[in-house]
Amino acid sequence: MKNLILIITLSTSGFLFVNFNIADGKGPASKEEMIEIPDDVQAVIDNSCYGCHNSDSRNDKAKKKLSFDKLSKLKTYKVVGKLTDIQEIIMEGEMPPKKFVKKYPDHALSDDGKDLLLGWAKKSANKIAGE
Amino acid sequence: MKKKIWFILIVIVVIIQFIPTGRPDAVNNNPNDVLINNPVPDSVASLLTTTCYDCHSNETYYPWYSYVAPVSWLVARDVKEGRKHVNFSEWESLYKMKKAEILDDLVDEVSDGGMPMLIYPLMHPEAKLTKADRQMIVDWAEGFGESLFE
Repeated sequence: MKNLILIITLSTSGFLFVNFNIADGKGPASKEEMIEIPDDVQAVIDNSCYGCHNSDSRNDKAKKKLSFDKLSKLKTYKVVGKLTDIQEIIMEGEMPPKKFVKKYPDHALSDDGKDLLLGWAKKSANKIAGE
Repeated sequence: MKKKIWFILIVIVVIIQFIPTGRPDAVNNNPNDVLINNPVPDSVASLLTTTCYDCHSNETYYPWYSYVAPVSWLVARDVKEGRKHVNFSEWESLYKMKKAEILDDLVDEVSDGGMPMLIYPLMHPEAKLTKADRQMIVDWAEGFGESLFE
């Protein structure tokens, strides 16, 4: 008898759980959703990164390494890898290149910009890696 | 006069042999190595060992000329740099995110010929990668990368 109650309870709660998820209307979030770039981060990217890191870039090396247009279309490990690389490169101050910043000081990455970018990259990588 | 120049040159070459190179040690027992802890096909494992492991693992094999300055300085620098970026002997100690970053880089470098560095196959003819070899490494790395997040 106890077992029966247990089974009924478990199956009912399982049923509710499944239904709840369906009712929520959301399947697992897509990669696009998980690395969705908020407006303030997008502004930083547009100003300091996108000029070289886009799919039509004339800078082949930069384009191959990272294109913000294609980021969400890559395989999972590549997205996580590139988001991890972004964090390292920003923390070490390797990008944007010093020569470029010297020539175009307006496109330098401010401390606030760095924080925004780092926060976004870390959060997105964690979400995609499921951690 | 000519004799004197030769003498000075020889003295210089002898003296520079005593400058420490900071050559990283070769260690052959690495419990965290990528190849012993993961199902890597033999063909890929052998390509990685012959073409990457001298600089990207602790299992560096130092040929005789790597003990002779000034070549020894270049070798020491390349091995140090190589291990700093990617060290397959320490693989299991890395975070998943770092592994993904390395595999992403590996795929880009191996597919467009960035790695091994040009000088390496010149000194190690067995490390010349054919197009098919490169594809084999890339295919493995892609599958391995995806398996990290399944």
